[in-house]
Amino acid sequence: MLRQETRDAGIAVLLGEGVRKAEERAARYDKAATWAVWSFAGVAIGILAFIIGTIFFRGITTALTPSFVFGKPQAIQAGGGIWPMIVSSFYLAFLTIAIVLPVGVGAAIYMSEFAKEGWITRLVRFGADSLSTVPSVVFGIFGMVIFVIYFGLGYSLLAGALTLTLLNIPTVMRTTEEAMAAVPHSYREASMGLGASRWETVKKIVLPSAMPGITTGTVLTVGRIVGESAAIIYTVGLFVRKIPTSPLQPAAPMAANIWHMYTEGALVSDWMRVANGEAAFLLIVVLVLNLLARLLAKVYQKKLGTKEAR
Amino acid sequence: MKAIDREWIIKKVLLVLAMMTVLGIAMIIFFVVKESIPAFRQAGLSNLASSDWSPESGRYGMLVFFTGTLATSLGGLLLGAPLAIAAAVFLTQMAPRRVKTVVGRGIDLLAGVPSIVLGWLGLTVLVPWIRALTNSTGTGILAASILLAIMVIPTITAISKDALEAVPRSYREAALGMGATRWQTIRQVLLPAAKPGILVAVILGMGRAIGETMAVALVIGPATVFPKSLTSPTHTLTTKILIDMGESTGVQRSALFAMGLVLLLLAMGMILLIRLVTRRMQPVR
Amino acid sequence: MTQGNVKLERSPYPYTGQVVIERAATQPNVCDARVKIELRNLGLYYENFKALEDINLHIMCNSITAIIGPSGCGKSTALRSLNRMNELIEGARVEGKVIMDGENIYERDYRVVRLRKRVGMVFQRPNPFPKSIYDNIAFGPRLFGVRERNILDCIIEESLRRAALWDEVKDKLRDSALTLSGGQQQRLCIARVLSVQPEVILLDEPCAALDPIATQRIEDLLSELKNEYTIVTVTHNMQQAARISDFTAFFMIENQGEPGRIVEFGETSKIFTNPDDERTEEYITGRFG
Repeated sequence: MLRQETRDAGIAVLLGEGVRKAEERAARYDKAATWAVWSFAGVAIGILAFIIGTIFFRGITTALTPSFVFGKPQAIQAGGGIWPMIVSSFYLAFLTIAIVLPVGVGAAIYMSEFAKEGWITRLVRFGADSLSTVPSVVFGIFGMVIFVIYFGLGYSLLAGALTLTLLNIPTVMRTTEEAMAAVPHSYREASMGLGASRWETVKKIVLPSAMPGITTGTVLTVGRIVGESAAIIYTVGLFVRKIPTSPLQPAAPMAANIWHMYTEGALVSDWMRVANGEAAFLLIVVLVLNLLARLLAKVYQKKLGTKEAR
Repeated sequence: MKAIDREWIIKKVLLVLAMMTVLGIAMIIFFVVKESIPAFRQAGLSNLASSDWSPESGRYGMLVFFTGTLATSLGGLLLGAPLAIAAAVFLTQMAPRRVKTVVGRGIDLLAGVPSIVLGWLGLTVLVPWIRALTNSTGTGILAASILLAIMVIPTITAISKDALEAVPRSYREAALGMGATRWQTIRQVLLPAAKPGILVAVILGMGRAIGETMAVALVIGPATVFPKSLTSPTHTLTTKILIDMGESTGVQRSALFAMGLVLLLLAMGMILLIRLVTRRMQPVR
Repeated sequence: MTQGNVKLERSPYPYTGQVVIERAATQPNVCDARVKIELRNLGLYYENFKALEDINLHIMCNSITAIIGPSGCGKSTALRSLNRMNELIEGARVEGKVIMDGENIYERDYRVVRLRKRVGMVFQRPNPFPKSIYDNIAFGPRLFGVRERNILDCIIEESLRRAALWDEVKDKLRDSALTLSGGQQQRLCIARVLSVQPEVILLDEPCAALDPIATQRIEDLLSELKNEYTIVTVTHNMQQAARISDFTAFFMIENQGEPGRIVEFGETSKIFTNPDDERTEEYITGRFG
């Protein structure tokens, strides 16, 4: 009989005043949580706005003039420019892309079109996962040991590009694989049904359809390379006076040069100004590349008449 | 016949390219181990594991830096993870479409801000603030944690968002359909269902925080002793490697590689942890 | 099933919603002749697309109302409008009124949370939470402040018994609900709805994903539950509507892109034997084939 009573008590709770109280409490919590989450999101965006705003404002007010951007750097006196650093950054980026793109895309093609699930794919995935978690400073000292010293490349764009290739393979692989996974299976079947070999199918059908994703991924990778510093400080160099011309010459990408300004900057009285300018310029480059990636995705989308692959 | 041969060659070439990942990680491990052997041979494990770093007297202890790495990354997670998970909840459950696009893109953009730029801002803005507020040098674990929090937000948000989006819509409908408020639904149904994914997000965020170098290097101090407070200078593994590598030789240099090895082991540990979490979540889903 | 003639009249008192049901005096009352929910000129939009138009329905206490019609005619949308689940879709907008017990549930300050407690919903695919059987049922009572263990135990047993699931799961309440079969999961979902003491139960094609035996069990269950609850179910299955429901509403869209409308509403026996509208007849006979 006790059971009956407890049961009635439960039902009474669910039909009675208790529910109203629980509801009101739940409504209060809901309101508070909504408010909290909105403000958290606001904080996140606020931080971002603050970062971008401050860097831009400082860069524009103190540094970014044509003579600074296109000027020659100075080692011991004020008034130096950063043109060789800008060139270094992009030189390094394009050199790296030139190596990492074939490797990463090739690996992705193998993984998504040729490989059968097995120990090889597991091994490759493990390798990619590991590479993507290794801290960039470890890539840096590794690159220093093997490319700079062991292969005798010295501090050079090539040594840096090879180091950054390893660092970026996982990203390029992943974006490419995602882009290829978005290509409908029926395309491949149609092509192979017409007698095309697997490679012909990849070359003529899969890769073209995956191009938008690969392109956006590549543009974003350029952004990552331009912003990378820890991996290049001991492979590429920190300061140059002349624009590097050969991949075997040392260079000074902006990101590395900011570090140089901080550590050795006391040599030039306006080192803060140089660092501010480079920081702002770096950020502009990253923002422009982001916009470019989005724009490209949109253009492709229109052209192919399909949904965005990524 | 010729076509098949070509196909075979292409396949092997692609296989070689794919194996570059394995070759890469193997070489990294090999060389980092090789370079750190002298430290283990000549200084010994107990020396390396001590908290005394004074190369001039043959002491190569890395405990201070190890502690610094753990402290800064845990601090970063403590500050950043709640914000990031809240942002993921916001993006998937609360934001109106237009706000969602703006906030989502903003957070994507945050991921693109180079760490040296963030560190530079930390050095020139954050550190003076902390200095003024706490009457200290302003550099140290607090400043580094704040920067790391900002850096882990995009990572954790993106992956938590995916995890929340992967929760079947039907769970949400079921909860709301019974009279749960939106927050009750999030708290009691969606977050628990997305928990493994969010855990992976936090671990990856931790990985990013442990490996971060430049931003931390600019605001950490530096000093080779345990910090007296959250606002006194110290070092992390990454920053010590970065700052000392240029001027070190012999055993000291090798000890820096040993630190690199510790970082590698931490990274591998993260991967194993993630595999464990994802494997355990398979049968539940 | 009665063959009586049902005449629905708009009540002169806007909020009581009484209807007059004329039936042979000898027939026992199937329902107590009270209207639980009244849909008045309900229309529903998704953004600019009008999904429903001019829906007028009376849903009686202690009866099963079936909503039938070809797919895409707005059946589920109409059902979801009864506990405002349609609001989960961004851009959904409602015009007209849905009056339950004298109150318009679309009134600005109407408590949605309370509405959904009173009007429970069972979905097409069984959707238990990835929790234990116990926690699935306890979810609702806990939301409404029931914390005491023994009371929860009793509510859970009671709900499972009513959903005719108790005997099958009483020894494994701690197991994950996802280990149950599809039919059991659906009954668990019904038990979950029952646990918060609702007044109305909405079912959106509850048997669509089930085999015939599981379907039979759910149908039996519903026939039993209608003694205590008001039930509205959407179904694709004509026989099912004919077997279990007391009232049937037939929905249709004239042409692609037009909103769904009610073609005919009345006692099930009449709709299935002697419908007024030709289209109803065509649909039903076509389906009975």
